[in-house]
Amino acid sequence: MSEGQMDDERYLWDRSGEPDAEIVRLEALLSPLRHRGQPLGVRPRPPVRRWVRMLVPALAVAAMMFLVASAAWFSWTARRDGWDVQRVGGAPVVSGVRVAGNRGRDGARLAVGGWLVTDGASRARIEVGEIGEVEVDPNTRLQLVTSSGREHRMALARGTIHATIWAPPKFFFVDTPSAVAVDLGCAYTLQVADDGSGMVRVTHGWVGFQSGAREVFIPEGAVCSTRRGNGPGTPRYEDAPAGYAGALAVLDFSDAGDARRASALDVVLSRARPRDALTLWHLLRRGSLDERRLVYERMAVLAPPPDGVTREAVLAGDRAALDRWWDALGLESTTWWRLWKRDWEK
Amino acid sequence: MVEIAARLLCAPASPPVASVTRFSPGHAAEDSRLVREARGGDASAFERLYERYARVIHGVVLARVGRVDVDDLVQDVFLAAWARLATLRDPQAFGGWLTSIARRRAIDHHRRAVETTELPADLEAPDAAAPRAEAIAVIEVVRSLPDAYRETLVLRLVEGMTGQEIADRTGMTPASVRVNLHRGMRLLRDRLQR
Repeated sequence: MSEGQMDDERYLWDRSGEPDAEIVRLEALLSPLRHRGQPLGVRPRPPVRRWVRMLVPALAVAAMMFLVASAAWFSWTARRDGWDVQRVGGAPVVSGVRVAGNRGRDGARLAVGGWLVTDGASRARIEVGEIGEVEVDPNTRLQLVTSSGREHRMALARGTIHATIWAPPKFFFVDTPSAVAVDLGCAYTLQVADDGSGMVRVTHGWVGFQSGAREVFIPEGAVCSTRRGNGPGTPRYEDAPAGYAGALAVLDFSDAGDARRASALDVVLSRARPRDALTLWHLLRRGSLDERRLVYERMAVLAPPPDGVTREAVLAGDRAALDRWWDALGLESTTWWRLWKRDWEK
Repeated sequence: MVEIAARLLCAPASPPVASVTRFSPGHAAEDSRLVREARGGDASAFERLYERYARVIHGVVLARVGRVDVDDLVQDVFLAAWARLATLRDPQAFGGWLTSIARRRAIDHHRRAVETTELPADLEAPDAAAPRAEAIAVIEVVRSLPDAYRETLVLRLVEGMTGQEIADRTGMTPASVRVNLHRGMRLLRDRLQR
């Protein structure tokens, strides 16, 4: 190998030695095509770790299995048409047949469209599918309207029931002559008088009471009346100040020109505690403009509206403003409420 | 040394030397450190890896793909590497792993691409027409060489890397790089003279 060849090799290897003219020419010719040193175009985000990448599909599969299992479970409960009824005392009657036994041994089956009737000495217990129980007091008459995986609905024509529901919200409904009670995962007592008026008393969770455009939210420890032709009244806590029940009855169910309204409103407002903002909030949507102005002034003192909620918007019945004020009361979010409120009425 | 060089230069039409993964210890150790930091979510460590390897990947891709697509593919290779960094078993082998991704991407690009013809450079910039057109013509000849030759030659002649740098970053042994450079250069001279 000549010296020249050695130089060529060195130059090709690391540009040392005597430059090779052809290689130098090619370097000069091709150098414009080389990488121009531009930075990485996109700053990469931190890589997702392997276990996270595996976890995501695993969770998706688990969620899918849960949904399938839930659907199967609800379908199964739906196929089991009707509710089991057990005798607790006396001789309740299911669809004209006297229930002899209890604890499921000799109980009866209340079919869709069937009636359960208790006399003055009878009590019964209903298993509402797999979602809860209803204790039926004496002198009660009720009908099973729907029993499906997604909806269990009864009509309470008269009497008293105590419902305990552990299903997700909006699975259990009770139609009364004057309003629909919507379970939102709770325990409550519902009474209906012969004239169709009613009363709900919530012992745990929340109940919605609704008729037409009227909707009320009733938390644990509160009660609410309802009247045929009027729908639900205004909820109040059971420990509300003296005179509240009578005053609210006037405000809820009397005509606009009733002379008793002013004094009734005065009782409600003057005796209100911060906790009674629950009641006042509902009154913001009822009554005359003058009444609502008074309610606003009092409530603004007891539970000031959040920033951005104006007097004008509230008095105009602006739903967003009312919802924001409700949310500020620290009860439950209206979003949560309305999520479950759809299709209350059939 | 003389004997080895003579053997290299006189070996007629020999096949390219296959690459063997063997990184220099210092270079591999630095790669390993940067890979570990990048795996921990340190994007700047990955950017440092990009700086170390951008020229190599550019050359590997340019040896197979028309220049108009090269820059995009280089970015694509690094982003793919970032996404898969956790799957790299030996952080010291980052260079070889990355170049293998680049080769696969270049091949995939050919599979997917609609056949196109690179425009003559004189259509773009009349002033620089002659050298650019010749450069593209030479690159086309380089691309017609066997894989190992063309990749090594592009890294040397276009990217301006030394033989040792090519070895450090591609995982080939220095001897393999040396052989591929010489055999490739000889083939290139022959084809350019035709």
